[in-house]
Amino acid sequence: MNGAARGASVSLADLEKRYDRTNAVDGVSLDIRSGEFLTLLGPSGSGKTTTLMMIAGFETPSAGDIAIDGTSVVAMPPYRRNIGMVFQNYALFPHLTVEDNIGFPLKQRGVPKAERTKLVAEALELVQLPGYGGRYPRQLSGGQQQRVALARAIVFKPRLLLMDEPLGALDKQLRENLQLEMRRLHADLGITFIYVTHDQEEALTMSDRIAVMNDGKVAQVGRPEDLYDRPCNRFVAGFIGESNFLPAVVRDLEDDVVVAECEGVMVRALCPTLRPASGSKVTLTTRPERLRFADAWNGNAPQNRMSVTVTEAVFAGERCRYLLRATDGTSIVLKEPSSAAIRRRQVGDQAEIAWSVADTILV
Amino acid sequence: MSEAVLRERGPLARIGLRSGPEARAPNLMPYLLAAPLILFMLAFYAMPVVAMLMRSVSDPTWTVANYATLPDDAVFLKTFANTFYTSLIVTLVSLLLGYPVAMALVRAPRWAPIILVLIMLPFWTSVLVRSYAWMVLLGRHGLFNEALIAAGMIDRPLRILNTPLATQIAMSHILLPYMILPIANALRQIDPSLLRAASGLGSPPWRTFLQVTLPLSMPGVAAGVLLVFVLALGFYITPAMVGGPREITISMLIAQRVDQLDWAYAATLSAVLLATALAIIGAFYRLPGVGNAFRMNAR
Amino acid sequence: MSKLRSTRFGRRTTLGLLGAGLAAPFIRPAAAQAAWPEQTTIPDILKGSGEVRIAGFGGTMNDAQIKAYYEPFEKISGIKVRAFPGSDPTKIKAMVETGNVEWDLAQLSRGSIMNLQKRGDYFEKIDYDIVDSGVDPAYRFEYGLEMLVWAQVLAYRKDLVKGEPKGWADFWDTKKFPGERAMYGTTSGGFPEMEFALMAAGVPPDKVYPIDIDKALASYEKIKKDVIKWWDTGAVPIQLLTDREVSMTTVWNGRMAALQAAGVPAEISWAQGLSKRDAWGIPKGAKNKANAMKFVAYSTMAIPQARIAFAIPYGSVNNASNEYIPPDRLAVLPSAPDIKKQLLNYNYDWWIDNREAAVNRFNKWLLS
Repeated sequence: MNGAARGASVSLADLEKRYDRTNAVDGVSLDIRSGEFLTLLGPSGSGKTTTLMMIAGFETPSAGDIAIDGTSVVAMPPYRRNIGMVFQNYALFPHLTVEDNIGFPLKQRGVPKAERTKLVAEALELVQLPGYGGRYPRQLSGGQQQRVALARAIVFKPRLLLMDEPLGALDKQLRENLQLEMRRLHADLGITFIYVTHDQEEALTMSDRIAVMNDGKVAQVGRPEDLYDRPCNRFVAGFIGESNFLPAVVRDLEDDVVVAECEGVMVRALCPTLRPASGSKVTLTTRPERLRFADAWNGNAPQNRMSVTVTEAVFAGERCRYLLRATDGTSIVLKEPSSAAIRRRQVGDQAEIAWSVADTILV
Repeated sequence: MSEAVLRERGPLARIGLRSGPEARAPNLMPYLLAAPLILFMLAFYAMPVVAMLMRSVSDPTWTVANYATLPDDAVFLKTFANTFYTSLIVTLVSLLLGYPVAMALVRAPRWAPIILVLIMLPFWTSVLVRSYAWMVLLGRHGLFNEALIAAGMIDRPLRILNTPLATQIAMSHILLPYMILPIANALRQIDPSLLRAASGLGSPPWRTFLQVTLPLSMPGVAAGVLLVFVLALGFYITPAMVGGPREITISMLIAQRVDQLDWAYAATLSAVLLATALAIIGAFYRLPGVGNAFRMNAR
Repeated sequence: MSKLRSTRFGRRTTLGLLGAGLAAPFIRPAAAQAAWPEQTTIPDILKGSGEVRIAGFGGTMNDAQIKAYYEPFEKISGIKVRAFPGSDPTKIKAMVETGNVEWDLAQLSRGSIMNLQKRGDYFEKIDYDIVDSGVDPAYRFEYGLEMLVWAQVLAYRKDLVKGEPKGWADFWDTKKFPGERAMYGTTSGGFPEMEFALMAAGVPPDKVYPIDIDKALASYEKIKKDVIKWWDTGAVPIQLLTDREVSMTTVWNGRMAALQAAGVPAEISWAQGLSKRDAWGIPKGAKNKANAMKFVAYSTMAIPQARIAFAIPYGSVNNASNEYIPPDRLAVLPSAPDIKKQLLNYNYDWWIDNREAAVNRFNKWLLS
């Protein structure tokens, strides 16, 4: 795309929003790069939507600053911020046709009628709804309405597009289709997307980076694979994907690897952020699909090992899911690809599991 | 993308398009539930009205003479024009005053209970008492004039009471709730995210009002205008009490004829009043903008 | 139609409404102190059993009627009285036509009774064999008996008018007696005061009837711009006087007592006033027709007629009543000899025949 459509950079500095007693947003600092697809991910009430609304200008921060391309916009009303926005409920004007809905932002900007018609047609083309201009929103399906909303949000070529759970009201299949379309649009337009969702899978598939939010704060920011492989706290590890949490006591520290006593054995774990003292109680986390029964490694079993008893075995098609009990009673989940070649365990079986140090994180 | 499947499954039905399969299934339940009301209305409303209409053409013998003489009846024509004009002014004033109040009612929820009480308060007082209150306020030695004189704005009292202006003021006051409540209701039904969307798309508040709020509140405006206008057509006590010496409304004329036991003529006038009200309601539904707004309300 | 009827207000239904500005009771203290005469015996023919349903105008009038003759009648005759408000000839018409006669007796006027009777058979004949001989023949007619005398007169504010206006030429003379006027209009079944217009134009009282409508309207033309209100209910002129909206108006005399009691410097000028009457009428087919007739006879006897004058400043139709009324009370009653001779007797017969034409001509003139 041309230079004019280059995405805006957004910088949030110590952003706060207080309502009466609660802090909906409690000190968020975040730098969103030009052209980036950044997702604010978190459970409801984590402050992600409030943060988005402050960027859009619909909520006024109690403290902190929002800068777009280095210029503070806090004092600027929404209609002067030139930001595209897509709402969860589409927010299409029911009294206007699709064409007039999409033309609305152009009209506000004084774009002449002929030009407007051309741009609206282009936008409809872009969201694959050519020929729908004369209809009213109520004559469209939910997915079509959302695509009209998207067209309306980008038709005036904003450099920043905000989306608030835009696919939340759609069914799964439609949602997946639209996720792909949004990715494509992002790539085509080259503008900055800030996307709010509570759906971790959606966040992982679409985003360049994800900011996980909890209790009004950013718990962790990073690329999807970083968040998955190297969660830096228990919340992130639990919120994104499934995790095992193992209580342990630190015995030794070797560079960025910690040696900890866990369920009566020594386990090694990466500690990317923390430097715990010897003897301190910590939690180690691993992903269920990164664990294997020791005999399945064909002799190459990694360092971390533990004896367990099978308490539950579930065959779930593409994988088998086992619930295991360690010596001290901690429950561990293990997921194994299902294969006729792999021996299945029965409830009550004694076994040894093994997993890589790289897949063990101290949180 | 399987829009066809979606079409069958429901999102369309959810947003009110009546082409889904469920719309085709006849459901008698609503009619059964409404039956007692319909019977009641037939017995106690429709029949008397029909009887009245019959009287206008059958008393003392079958004739349309009562109607035929109306176009030459100077008293009727003047009275009708006066009633119509007053209703028009009152509707306009109620709309101009009522819309901002309805906005405040919806947009300032903190004040809503107080505003609502202020709106409803006169509702709970009889028309007669309210008319007396206006006499006290607007009289030549009333509060309004005394205040203006005390403030040095006028030397001698203004004649407001016992003029058409007093009728217009008092009637607007009485009918204001009928304007405010439907408009407030329509405003309340506007999804707040539409206003945010408009703002986010670059529309300053006043343009958002003109382009989004106003058109979307049209069902309420139409309902309010209809209610106020049609009710104003039937006004009687207020113009008689605070109005000018030459203010005769159609209702007064009807009362006069009822009292003179000329019920056929009274029925004729009532029929004309009823027809006027119905014609106005019909015309409203046909207005392009408004009709669309009414239909949109199904959403 | 029913909405109409509930909103229109009869001549006296709004009597109590003045409460807005005037809280004084209608009963004047002087009269209240004097002992009310008691009827201790009645002829056996007026006694009976069961009940009689009487429709009046409600409000203060009803209170006066209860005390003056409903309660004593119940006690002495053994017939129970049930009072209803909202008497109205249009309701009688509907009741008789539908055969659902809910009242045995109604307070109306000779005009409305005869007007209705002209269109059909709506009233029972009065049995004059049992009516008291003291009732003046002038008040008797075939289908009703007049039982209350009141007057439509000139009233003025003493503080706004210098001197005492006497008669309608003075009322018309806005140079000599400056200030706005109010007169009875036609909006809710009222009758234009054409008699006054004629007298203002110099027609002597005994030449007023039959009314020359053209002449009356020509006379009205001279006062039109000064009349700020054509009132339709008795409360309105009283309010206009109280609020100093007018300096002079026509009123129903009964209303003035309350105004004066409230300290408003207003006065009645009886000269050239109209003497009007309320009448009892028995709707055709009334269930308790006999009891109604007995009540009519009782309530027009001298003492019950005197009692009503104690309660409300309206006069009696029984020549013997004045003996029972103290002189200071008599002085404010339209039936008092000194006042009666200043008044013109309202000619119901002329109005029965000419009402529609007169009202329609008046309407047309007013709107032109």
